Amino acid sequence: MLDFNTVYIMAYRQIKRFFRARSRVIGSILNPVMWLIFFGLGWSSLFKAPMAKIMFYGLDYMSYLAPGVLMMTIFMSSFIGGVTVIWDKEFGYLKEVLVAPVSRTASIIGRALGETLTAMLQGVAILIAVLLIAPLLNPLGAPLALAVGLLVALSFTSMGITIASRMKSMEGFHMLVNLIMLPLVFLSGAIYPIDNMPLWMKGIAYVNPLTYGVDLARWLLTGVSQMDPVFDLTLLLVLTAVMIAIASYAFNKATIE
Amino acid sequence: MPREVVVAEGLTKVFDGFKAVDEVSFRVVEGEVFGFLGPNGAGKTTTINMLITLMKPTKGEAWINGYSVLKEPDKVRRSIGVVFQDSTVDRELTGWENMWIHGVTYKVPRDVLKRKIVDLLGFVELDKYAKTQVRNYSGGMVRRLEIARALLHEPEVLFLDEPTLGLDPQTRAKIWEYILELKRRTGMTIFLTTHYMDEAERLCDRVAIIDHGKILVVGSPEELKRMIGRDVVYVKAFDERSAKMLIGEVARRGLALSYASPSSNVVSFTVEDAHSFIPEVFEVSSRLGVHILEVKYSKPTLNDVFLHLTGRELRDESGSWMDFMRARMRRGFRRG
Repeated sequence: MLDFNTVYIMAYRQIKRFFRARSRVIGSILNPVMWLIFFGLGWSSLFKAPMAKIMFYGLDYMSYLAPGVLMMTIFMSSFIGGVTVIWDKEFGYLKEVLVAPVSRTASIIGRALGETLTAMLQGVAILIAVLLIAPLLNPLGAPLALAVGLLVALSFTSMGITIASRMKSMEGFHMLVNLIMLPLVFLSGAIYPIDNMPLWMKGIAYVNPLTYGVDLARWLLTGVSQMDPVFDLTLLLVLTAVMIAIASYAFNKATIE
Repeated sequence: MPREVVVAEGLTKVFDGFKAVDEVSFRVVEGEVFGFLGPNGAGKTTTINMLITLMKPTKGEAWINGYSVLKEPDKVRRSIGVVFQDSTVDRELTGWENMWIHGVTYKVPRDVLKRKIVDLLGFVELDKYAKTQVRNYSGGMVRRLEIARALLHEPEVLFLDEPTLGLDPQTRAKIWEYILELKRRTGMTIFLTTHYMDEAERLCDRVAIIDHGKILVVGSPEELKRMIGRDVVYVKAFDERSAKMLIGEVARRGLALSYASPSSNVVSFTVEDAHSFIPEVFEVSSRLGVHILEVKYSKPTLNDVFLHLTGRELRDESGSWMDFMRARMRRGFRRG
């Protein structure tokens, strides 16, 4: 039986911490807005030609990019949120958690849930911005797109926790961000389609869980998708469950030695 | 017969062939303040980590509040409060929030919890700073918050790992006061580690002196000091050779109970009575034609006990600046 008391209080902590770090709140919302404006508007003025529309499955570039930026925001925020377990290691709080008479699975699920909720808050903010900037999107798909975001957030928070549980120090943190986060964004179809990529890049894109989240969200918001939405959803659900299981295993193994 | 709250039997921890803790056995009874005194790297923190279920012993077993640390870690965790050597508070949150999260985690009923947070923050004089983010606390305030937090769920035994490491003298005195007050008021069983002999003397009912992972001796500070004699006389000779000659002659005449040499030309003799020993030492030195540069005597301290057991000094008995700076570097400056 899952210890909901622990899940609740660990989620409470993450949410408190999030709102305490004002710069993080502002930055996490400004960053994707910058992408939308400077990247999105910049390229979409180039992609005005009718040929370009074919590249983006008949969508104007802004509509193509918008669901991608939504998922990217949720992905980045949740992944970094998960990796912050390394901060707890560095600043000692992890010991307080490890010595408490509660299930570690419950405390890690609570933590993942807290990070997920904060990522979702950013998701809502971006979704509103996106609906304003790209008016061709279907607003009815928005709540469901957020539900997809929830799965993406849960799975990548868990991935972050897994990686942080195995890391010894904070030194690897920035390398991790560059080496894992950026490629996962580029190889997800969020910014450009994956069809015409070199084979090896395509390979990575197809094992990247974010690809399916982006595809599903795009289908919900524009009606266009590259894969069967049912297939996307099934894969995403399975991946999320697996990621949570791995994270709780890794965290259970975490010791201070 | 008082209840035994902490029992360790042959606790051993080996890291890559290095024995950090070597067959350590001891008992702590209810209401006792029991201390591990030893230099850095003696195995104190490793012992605590095994007792609080954060590390598995390579060999041996321990029981806390009657529960096995190997077989019932959850019950052990419910019985203990821990203040770690390095701070384990969430610096982004306020003092009150740190307390609240701890209390809910340990399932203290909400209404009781609210009252206890007020009481305990009052006890460590942090009530005015309850709503301040911990990142703005000083080192001493953080430590006080951690003590209050560890008491929130009314543990059977409180573990304090180097409770005053890196604190300035006034703050140390304050922390001592809280610990003594806690003992007086609640009769809390406390297990602490320290490398400050004055801290061990001041706080502990019984002290285990530990070095290289082994317990050398256990007893009350009084017993331990009595063990080596009534007075300690330090003699600083001109050089190592003359110190050796002095030792030889004093030993031959049986004037001292024991001796140790903390540095090449200094000898510390433990004696029954310094007043009669000092003239005798001068007599010996003039007969040998040896120069004595300095003589001083004092009542024995735990440092002398350690010196006579190991031939080395414990050093920095009073929160030295080096310790203070080292701890500051580790904590505060790290994030700029």
